[in-house]
Amino acid sequence: MSLLDALQATLAEEHATLWSYGVLGARTSQSASPALYDAVTAAYRRHRSRRDQLRLMVRDAGGEPVAAAVAYEVDGALVRPPQVQRAAVALEEAGVETLLALVARSSGDVREWALTEATWSAVWQLELGGTPQTWPGAAELD
Amino acid sequence: MPGRPLTRRTAVVSAVGSALAAPLVLTSCDIDPPASTDGASPAPAPPPEDAELVATVVAELVRAGAVLEAATLSVPDLTPALAPVAAAHADHLALLAEAVADADVPTSAPPAIASGRARALAVVQRSERRLQREVGQACRLAASGDLARVLASVAASTAQHGAALADPAVEQEAAP
Repeated sequence: MSLLDALQATLAEEHATLWSYGVLGARTSQSASPALYDAVTAAYRRHRSRRDQLRLMVRDAGGEPVAAAVAYEVDGALVRPPQVQRAAVALEEAGVETLLALVARSSGDVREWALTEATWSAVWQLELGGTPQTWPGAAELD
Repeated sequence: MPGRPLTRRTAVVSAVGSALAAPLVLTSCDIDPPASTDGASPAPAPPPEDAELVATVVAELVRAGAVLEAATLSVPDLTPALAPVAAAHADHLALLAEAVADADVPTSAPPAIASGRARALAVVQRSERRLQREVGQACRLAASGDLARVLASVAASTAQHGAALADPAVEQEAAP
């Protein structure tokens, strides 16, 4: 897999994540769950910025950024705050895995960016109620 | 998922270890560990840059582990907060040391930790930030993509544990 392919795969995943966060935000009450609302909103903004950066990186690598799908599947019920929380943690866990794959296939500025973003997603899991892991993004090492 | 699942830990150990012996093979492929050599071609020279990087990270993990141990001995009340960090570092160290089995795993003299929960916790937090910086730097410089991925996971784990230690609940418990 080339760097461009890896960037496109990461961008495709980011489209899905951003869409999913939109759903999670819509299912979160700002008044009833302000901390969760803030955490989900901050994550949405971070992932929007990440998507935009990935589009630039794809173009820099000579590609045409993959487009977002019309809609994506969101697993599980999203009625109560803990369900939203778990879904958000799962998004960040998947994000770390994707970004670590980009780390492996890149070097220089792209790798540094992927490492920074992977670290952010790993830490943000704690804001969303997750717990520290020994091998975030590399579960096969556990 | 666009990730690259390697289903067995041993495969990764092999990949990282092989990366130290054959970086050009690994940097030109994507996922799988390189096939075993058929003996027809001479073994490539070890890449000093990756071998040194792993040695640096191993030494940093040993140092950070010594800090955690000293802090726990100095302030036993910190054990519940520090034990998960020490366990994660031990796992990181085991994988990396296994990947470079020929290298000597250094030892680190336990540092002096001032008494008092807050001060001991502050020493640990500084140590963890240093570890994260060093592992991140090694990740950026690694010639092998597989090694970089492993180091990125170590850096992310260290950041997670550091964030957990910075949690107000832990810090308030540690207030003198």
